[in-house]
Amino acid sequence: MSGSLTGLITHTRRIQIVYKKALRSLEDWYDRREVYRYHAVLMRQRFEEVVSVNDPRIAKDMLSKIEAELFENQHWHPRKFPESPGGVAYGREVIPPDWVVDHWHPLEKAQYPEYFARREERKKEYVKHWAQKYGTSSYVPH
Amino acid sequence: MAGLAKNVRMLTRYYSSTSAIMTRPVVKTISSYNCSRRGSPVKNALPLVSSQRLVTPHERSYSSKPPLTLKLIKERVILVLNLYDKINPEKLSLDSHFINDLGLDSLDHVEVIMAIEDEFGFEIPDADAEKLLRPQDIVRYVGDKEDIYE
Repeated sequence: MSGSLTGLITHTRRIQIVYKKALRSLEDWYDRREVYRYHAVLMRQRFEEVVSVNDPRIAKDMLSKIEAELFENQHWHPRKFPESPGGVAYGREVIPPDWVVDHWHPLEKAQYPEYFARREERKKEYVKHWAQKYGTSSYVPH
Repeated sequence: MAGLAKNVRMLTRYYSSTSAIMTRPVVKTISSYNCSRRGSPVKNALPLVSSQRLVTPHERSYSSKPPLTLKLIKERVILVLNLYDKINPEKLSLDSHFINDLGLDSLDHVEVIMAIEDEFGFEIPDADAEKLLRPQDIVRYVGDKEDIYE
């Protein structure tokens, strides 16, 4: 979520993440746009106050209060984008990875001779490119 | 592979549109059958209108989006940014930095990213959002996401 494996993020980033969550939560509750905008402006003012505080200890405390409030006021059926986890179309279209084509049956491959001939060439080129970039391995089979 | 899938999708879409056209005579016959059974000319008007509405060709099928190009993505991104009240449209260009050039703060940046999410209909994770600091980055990100390179 935060984008860092250690979970350490800057104060600004944390405010941004909470602000986005807060706005999305407001969108869940108020489906009329003008009503949502009214509450969004109020929420923005609260975050402006957090930003304007110079003492990091107080700012952190204010932010965690807002977070706790957000947790309390979660929507029971939050809106999701269709392709996001939990959305209506999540995982609907499965795009198979490229290597699957290598495992086709030879009879299947024979139906597209030109494509597979070119594919073999490209694979050789890629191996050459790899060797040029990283060097050949010293692996000896035993 | 993805190209193949796209072709198949286009093909099915074409077929669905032709089938929509094909339904016209069937619907008409049904409506005329209904009319003849009722027999009154006043009542005839309603089924005819509904049949015409059924026949209108659908511009978009429900399962797919209209095809995007990089130019279209650029136009849509710029339009969204122009409509944001804190950005001066005269200063805005594809390479202007949101924070340094356009004078937005970090909270405004969140709002911009949310507007872009709503425009293109997919979620931008926070880790990616912090790197999208120029309109050009957003265009590129959306293009990568939708598999568009030209």
